[in-house]
Amino acid sequence: MARIELRAINKAFGAQRALRDLDLVVEDGEFFVLLGRTGAGKTTALRVIAGLEKPNSGQVFLGGHDVGGWTAAERDVALVLQQYSLYPRLTVRGNLEFPLRSRIRKFSEAEIAARVEKAARTLQITHLLDRKVERLSGGEMQRVSIGRAIVREPSVFLMDEPLSALDAKLRESLRVELKTLHSTLRATFLFVTHDQIEAMSMADRIGVLQKGRLVQVGTPADIYDRPMNTFVARSVGSPPMNLIDGRLADGMAEVGTFRLPVQAAGDRIVTFGVRPENLVLEAGAPGEARIFDIEDQGVVKIVVMDVGDARLHATVPAGTRVARDEVVRFGWKPERILTFDPQTGANLALGSA
Amino acid sequence: MARIELRNIQKFFGAVQVLKDVNLTIEDGEFVVMLGQSGCGKTTTLRAIAGLETVSSGTISIDGREVQGLRAADRDIAFVFQSFSLYPHMTVQENIAFPLRAVGMSQTDRDAAVTEVARVLGIERFLHRKPSALSGGDMQRVAIGRALVRRPKALLMDEPIGALDAKLREQMRAEIKRLHIARNSTSVYVTHDQIEAMSLADRIVVMHGGLLQQVGAPEEVYNRPANLFVAQFVGSPVMNVSDVALESGGVLGFGQGQGIAVPPGHVSHLSASRAVKLGIRPEAVILRHAAGEGLVETRTTNVEPLGSHEIVDVRLGDTTLRARVEPGFARGGQRVWVGLDATRAHFFDRDSGMALRRTA
Repeated sequence: MARIELRAINKAFGAQRALRDLDLVVEDGEFFVLLGRTGAGKTTALRVIAGLEKPNSGQVFLGGHDVGGWTAAERDVALVLQQYSLYPRLTVRGNLEFPLRSRIRKFSEAEIAARVEKAARTLQITHLLDRKVERLSGGEMQRVSIGRAIVREPSVFLMDEPLSALDAKLRESLRVELKTLHSTLRATFLFVTHDQIEAMSMADRIGVLQKGRLVQVGTPADIYDRPMNTFVARSVGSPPMNLIDGRLADGMAEVGTFRLPVQAAGDRIVTFGVRPENLVLEAGAPGEARIFDIEDQGVVKIVVMDVGDARLHATVPAGTRVARDEVVRFGWKPERILTFDPQTGANLALGSA
Repeated sequence: MARIELRNIQKFFGAVQVLKDVNLTIEDGEFVVMLGQSGCGKTTTLRAIAGLETVSSGTISIDGREVQGLRAADRDIAFVFQSFSLYPHMTVQENIAFPLRAVGMSQTDRDAAVTEVARVLGIERFLHRKPSALSGGDMQRVAIGRALVRRPKALLMDEPIGALDAKLREQMRAEIKRLHIARNSTSVYVTHDQIEAMSLADRIVVMHGGLLQQVGAPEEVYNRPANLFVAQFVGSPVMNVSDVALESGGVLGFGQGQGIAVPPGHVSHLSASRAVKLGIRPEAVILRHAAGEGLVETRTTNVEPLGSHEIVDVRLGDTTLRARVEPGFARGGQRVWVGLDATRAHFFDRDSGMALRRTA
């Protein structure tokens, strides 16, 4: 069993508080992604779990054991980092065998060979086993470092932005591979990243971290469709959710000089949250905007448009024909509009959270 | 204002040929983006136009005049690099005015030119600051201002926003494009980022291995890639590419006895004896929850729920196809039916990688 639990973890580096009363539960066998910007505390959280960093207060449990007094080696978790940290002079096989030849683990040669073969097969690097690692591509090196983590067959994998240094095409394929690996190994994965696409595409659950605190935990759909506040709302989705100040009255949104329908009750000043794919350009629609820029992504176009002082992003079909500085009419999908408190940023539909 | 023409450009660094017979005409007022991976020759091409690099053979003309013998300073072309290269001890005003002092312009004219360009770039309020007090985006605005103040014939940019963060890149992209339109200048822009290329360019020049792979409008490069390299370099997720066998009745065989029938007109230009690859973008892979004509039963192997849409992987014969579908379409391991939008299928020669098109 490899449930990870953090209880009220605080960690400060000098005057800077990296983690603040962090409570986190990663269930056994779960693929959990901690999403946050640089400095949010993601890496610190990972290092506290691995035993590489000692918290100022709070407890860490692995599989129900309080591991506060355990060394990193005793915790038996595997850590995969962005930098590959492989031994350049060894072959791929040598690198994979290395963790198994440690003095505290007594594996027979047959056992070592079997485990290396199995890891190589899982990661499809069998054909590379006798190559020196310095002759590998970035993606192959990252596979080898994952391989070095899995040969020990730990029940917990901690991964710190392992895909960030790779090019876009490789990241795409390794995302799929990591998910497959997770379901093959049935181990607990805790993966930290600043990349919302990685979080959305791989996680069973995402935890959004802001300044050392966990703001929301949920499935990718929860985080995307039911964000607790504007911070979470803008941390997933590309382009980010549009936030528009206006007034809610009689089931209508008053935004600048326009009135657009919404499915929300009440009469108050709010911030409307509108994802780019829920804005619609169509003749006769209630809103008016001037096109600032058009970004052709092939499969869709992203239209950047000015509405009063606000600059909005809309995702429109690739065949849409608009020109810069053109004045267009727009509407939105009323059932997809969120409302937030302009002061606190809290999602008004989720009560007083 | 300039028309730039490259004819039969060859460039060797020692024994290594980095540009192989490059022929390219950039029209006056056009925004051309050179797109490729590092080492493909895009920066060398740009530097050759600027006169920062000599060419081994071939001609470069600007407005009909051959310039390969002219020094960079005599070509009347401005260059913006990824690193800002501003003078740290000068104010923004002095930095932008610097190229004008070199040509001996009067103080009054200089001030007027600086003010005008600063207004266009939205940096008037920084004019009296030192570069060190500016953000990365503002520093690059100043560098662009300095390049534009002379009203050069053409503006050449080498990954000018590559060092900025994602949000700022997006903003600067729009500004650079608008500036180009406002000034009606000729712009040549180098990047490895396909989204930058797609959103900025009137025409994209895709380079690989020192060769021009394709020159065309963004839509053309995306929808009619000339070869496999272009097909897989532009677009995200990457275009699906797989070996297919041409079977009777217009069936594309994916191995293991699985195949998808497409209207024969879409494959009639391919000969059965020729080894081909199919290229199909994720948005042209059709997934359904029920059987239908041209659909094959399969299972999902992976689902990436991205919020606004989903990328769903399915197995078909020996290959995996990625499909772009509506959010919430499927779970992993679910039974679905897959088909292809044959109007958006691409075929490539398996050996040469060249697109095999119907001659319309």
